[in-house]
Amino acid sequence: MKPFDIVIVGGGGAGLYAAMEAMKTNPALNIAVLSKVYPNRSHTSAAQGGANAALANKAKDDSVEMHIFDTIKGSDYLADQDAVDVLCSEAPKIIRELENIGTPWSRMEDNTIAQRPFGGAGRPRCCYCADKTGHTILQTLYEQCLRKGVLFFNEYFALNLSVNGSRSKGLIAMNMKTGKVEAFPAKTVIFATGGYAKMYWNRSSNAAGNTGDGQAIAYRAGIPMKDMEFVQFHPTGLRKSGLLVTEGARGEGGYLINKDGERFMARYAKEKMELGPRDLVSRSIETEILEGRGFDSPAGKYIHLDLRHLGADLIKSRLPQIREMTLNFEGVDPIEEPIPIRPTAHYSMGGIDTDNFGRTVMDGVYAAGECACVSVHGANRLGGNSLLDILVFGRIAGHTAAEEAGKFEPGSISEEELKENVEEIRTRMQPSGHYERYGALREELGQTLALNVGIFRESSLLHKGIEDIAELKERFKKVRVFDSSDVFNTNLQQVLELQNMLDLAETVAVGALAREESRGSHTRIDFPVRDDEKWHKHTLATLVDGKATPGEKPVTMGRYELQERTY
Amino acid sequence: MKRYAYYMSCINESMTKEVDRSIDFWQKDLGLEFVKLHEGTCCGGSNLDYVSPKHFALVNARNIALAEKMGLDLIVSCNTCLMTIRTAKKKLDETPALKKEVNDILKKEGLEYRGTSEVRHLLWVLVDDVGLDAIKAKVTVPLKNYRIAPFYGCHILRPSKVLGRDNPLAPSSLDQLIEALGGQTIPFEHKNRCCGFHTLLVAEEESLNVAAEALEEAITLKADFIVTPCPLCHTVLDGYQAKALKQAHIDSSIPVFHISEMVGLALGYTAKQLGIKRHIVC
Amino acid sequence: MTETIDQHQEGKRDVTFRVFRFNPQVDSKPYFDDYTISAERGITVLRSLNYIKEHVDATLSFRAFCQAGICGSCGMRVNGISKLACTSQVWDELDKCREPGIIRVEPLRSLPMIKDLIVDMDPLVDKMTRYSNWVDSTMPLAEMGKKEFLISEEEFQQYDKATDCILCASCVSECSILRANKEYVSPAVLLKSYRMNVDSRDGIHDIRLAELVKDHGVWDCTHCYRCQESCVKSIPIMEAIHAIREDALESRGPRDTSGAKHAEAFMEDIEKKGKLVEATLPIRTNGVVWTLRNLLPMAMKMIVKRRTPPPPPLVKSAKGIKVFRAMFREMTEHVKQDHLKSQKK
Repeated sequence: MKPFDIVIVGGGGAGLYAAMEAMKTNPALNIAVLSKVYPNRSHTSAAQGGANAALANKAKDDSVEMHIFDTIKGSDYLADQDAVDVLCSEAPKIIRELENIGTPWSRMEDNTIAQRPFGGAGRPRCCYCADKTGHTILQTLYEQCLRKGVLFFNEYFALNLSVNGSRSKGLIAMNMKTGKVEAFPAKTVIFATGGYAKMYWNRSSNAAGNTGDGQAIAYRAGIPMKDMEFVQFHPTGLRKSGLLVTEGARGEGGYLINKDGERFMARYAKEKMELGPRDLVSRSIETEILEGRGFDSPAGKYIHLDLRHLGADLIKSRLPQIREMTLNFEGVDPIEEPIPIRPTAHYSMGGIDTDNFGRTVMDGVYAAGECACVSVHGANRLGGNSLLDILVFGRIAGHTAAEEAGKFEPGSISEEELKENVEEIRTRMQPSGHYERYGALREELGQTLALNVGIFRESSLLHKGIEDIAELKERFKKVRVFDSSDVFNTNLQQVLELQNMLDLAETVAVGALAREESRGSHTRIDFPVRDDEKWHKHTLATLVDGKATPGEKPVTMGRYELQERTY
Repeated sequence: MKRYAYYMSCINESMTKEVDRSIDFWQKDLGLEFVKLHEGTCCGGSNLDYVSPKHFALVNARNIALAEKMGLDLIVSCNTCLMTIRTAKKKLDETPALKKEVNDILKKEGLEYRGTSEVRHLLWVLVDDVGLDAIKAKVTVPLKNYRIAPFYGCHILRPSKVLGRDNPLAPSSLDQLIEALGGQTIPFEHKNRCCGFHTLLVAEEESLNVAAEALEEAITLKADFIVTPCPLCHTVLDGYQAKALKQAHIDSSIPVFHISEMVGLALGYTAKQLGIKRHIVC
Repeated sequence: MTETIDQHQEGKRDVTFRVFRFNPQVDSKPYFDDYTISAERGITVLRSLNYIKEHVDATLSFRAFCQAGICGSCGMRVNGISKLACTSQVWDELDKCREPGIIRVEPLRSLPMIKDLIVDMDPLVDKMTRYSNWVDSTMPLAEMGKKEFLISEEEFQQYDKATDCILCASCVSECSILRANKEYVSPAVLLKSYRMNVDSRDGIHDIRLAELVKDHGVWDCTHCYRCQESCVKSIPIMEAIHAIREDALESRGPRDTSGAKHAEAFMEDIEKKGKLVEATLPIRTNGVVWTLRNLLPMAMKMIVKRRTPPPPPLVKSAKGIKVFRAMFREMTEHVKQDHLKSQKK
């Protein structure tokens, strides 16, 4: 195959924006987008809320500077301030650009883009399209990529980077439709594969495919991961599927009830009760469950979100989507029964370490979006900043790669290297005496992470988590692929995804153990306060001799001094 | 005697005259009196609503207003007329400005659309108003030796927010009528599918493929005949049957009856009286 | 009462999933496999398939991604109806089984089979491309990102529902015409085309419309409403299709295509007689040559059976046609006024 100038891995918001921008920067370039799903299926579509930008359509006194401050404060001062500058300054431009090419933003009375308030933001600056913002942004980007004739390789599963010393030669991927392992020699590769929170499996709201493929590939190629211990939990995930019941349910007056029939939030937030900040509510629910006041079920312990006292009329008129969702996904009608819920992992702040241009430490390799860690979210991401992140840094990575592709030699990937990749897959398919079930391992991984590397962390728990992960990795060697066919082997794909999750899980646990403080989403029972002296820095995890080796990197400061984060 | 205003569908006045003729035979037997609306006009056949939404509203407001003037519900024996007039009714009832605009014109004829008369299908009158037991009681020649494939057609089922009588995924009214008449209804996958009528003149090959699929299933299931509540479906399934089956390389045929004929047969009228001999396939 | 609920909560039912299987590498034709599992209340069809894949048969292949009803990956036919497996409750499906206790699971129709429940989505993507399913922005390149278009709530409402589409292809699978001809544009693509054509930011309305009125385009829809009925997001797809037709008649005129001529004939006849003149409808739609070639053999049979529609002079006008005609024309005046008003705007 003729070498590509740019191969983009992932077709969500970041990947598609990168493709569009790269084509705009240099139309002569040979660009490909690889995605393991059709791009319009990507997880960007699940983001309902919106994207922040200081357009000042709603609050006339809003400013980029205020957006910057809110983001830095929200990050618990772990974000790099120069990166946040870029994020917030580019925001108005990128929202308008999306508007210009067809995103159906909701509108204000004066026909400008509508904005609404969002948690942690001092002004209403979240631009939205009803409750389908991510979906409509993704559709717009996909439509525009089709318009520009972007070359898509849909349903290709990325396997490995092909590396020559300190630089990448391109990507190796499997065509799911044929099972063929194919080489994508390329001057540059951009990873935009989304987050890794699905490693919490049933305790995650993420799509089944948010398995951190890009991060795992980069990690195996020696590229460091950054701040992997920061995983955001949402307080009210459905017990069986982990899907989110949005804050609206509590906003309308829903109660959180433990098995003793108690509105337990009185113990944790007497004034705000169920409407306390997300992380506090998550921790409160988790405490109830840990202290034995949760309900028991085969799907695990949970508590109740009770809406029944609101009455059928209010539920039907004000919360129809929540009702539809609990009916569809949990089979529960909130008019008649309480909704079984528990906190669920839904966003990963950490990722591939990049600079503000999307560059990684490896020549020719870039990353953007949830898959990368620039870092703009630090220890805690603000609502409305995740869509913004993928758009702004997707575009920047596309632009940078297009500008820099000329600097790198075209890669070439040998037949032998391809064969090695095929061999690795083939051995999985050989029958062996004792074997392990990948499904069981996947569930156990989610369980140990939720229990030991979850909302509450503590040295002994984290040690247990690290041991468990090591044991699972050992057992993984005996996992077999039962489907021996070449065509659309989803059995094989899921096994490879599990491998990616296992590799990354270790970095999460190791980072969490190293960070002896509590900051943002990372709560250590044994180190309950933020420790700026020792831990105002990023953690790194690099694969050395098959082990996650910790490292660190300073936080870039700017105009804002460290302060306590209170709301 | 239950009285209804009866809407005269264009097709029943030209190609499928046997529908209205067969109803005339048995309406009194079932205690029904259909008053024909000779002033009624074409409903627009699921086309006028996009050609000119306002004319569409006017024409059908008038059709309904004619029934309202008599204080009667409007009964329709063609699926597409049913769906079309009900769609107009829904729009008029939901859009006061449109209703007013239309009524300002209807005044000329001394008419007013109020929204008081229901628009219903002949099949619904039989099953819901006459009732299955009453029908059973009147049957003189039970259709007990017949395996019957019920073909509902689209516009008596969909859009369901306009029609609403049967579950569009699992309709049952026609099956119930068949059983009340002593016939044996067969599980017919195509019962709620399309006949292809509305594209016959625009995309004939596609339409005939659509029809052939339904015919083929009925033939494979060894049905004695297909029955349909819609004269448009009948026109395709009967009139175009030979052409459709030829296109699909199927060497067979199957009779297709209107519900009015099926009722007539069970109530003791002859095929000749009912106009069944007028069918292309018989 | 409470007891029943508690019981339900813990209740389980044995369910057999009869799943369509086909692996092109080894199977010469498709077959069905039965998997019986115990499903508790609240479990979706997709979770059951996941369970079967993990515990019973790892070779069972299907697509699934978000599992939350927004990505559109898991479109398949459950008990004969195209829908998302992830939003379908097993216990609800048990009430819809043809054979008690057996839920049939099959791939979507009208798209090429790949394996088991997986079909090829490329034809749909190709059609989105052919019909320019994107906004071709009128914002000059130099101005991009610098200012907003001002969009009224009224305009937003026109495409709000249409942008709910997640391309799950349920409508594609249920479409009557697509079953008959795979070249047909398909409902989802018509919906997207409509959405683009009413967007004031777009500059290629006429080009898109010109493509839509060609063969296999918007006039081939047979109004069966299956697309709309099966839409997992309850989008009124037929309304979008009708809106394209209305637009085509208005911007391209009633003599444009046979579809347009056919539609316009209803207007003519109703004005003239209050009744449809069916005898000449084929000629007015497709011309004399087509009519003679296509319908003559059938017409002979129909003449024998006296089923031919009467020639125009013999079509009786509706009673009171004169007053009707006057009212009809009055409405024509209203419509003209509406147009003038909207042009001024």
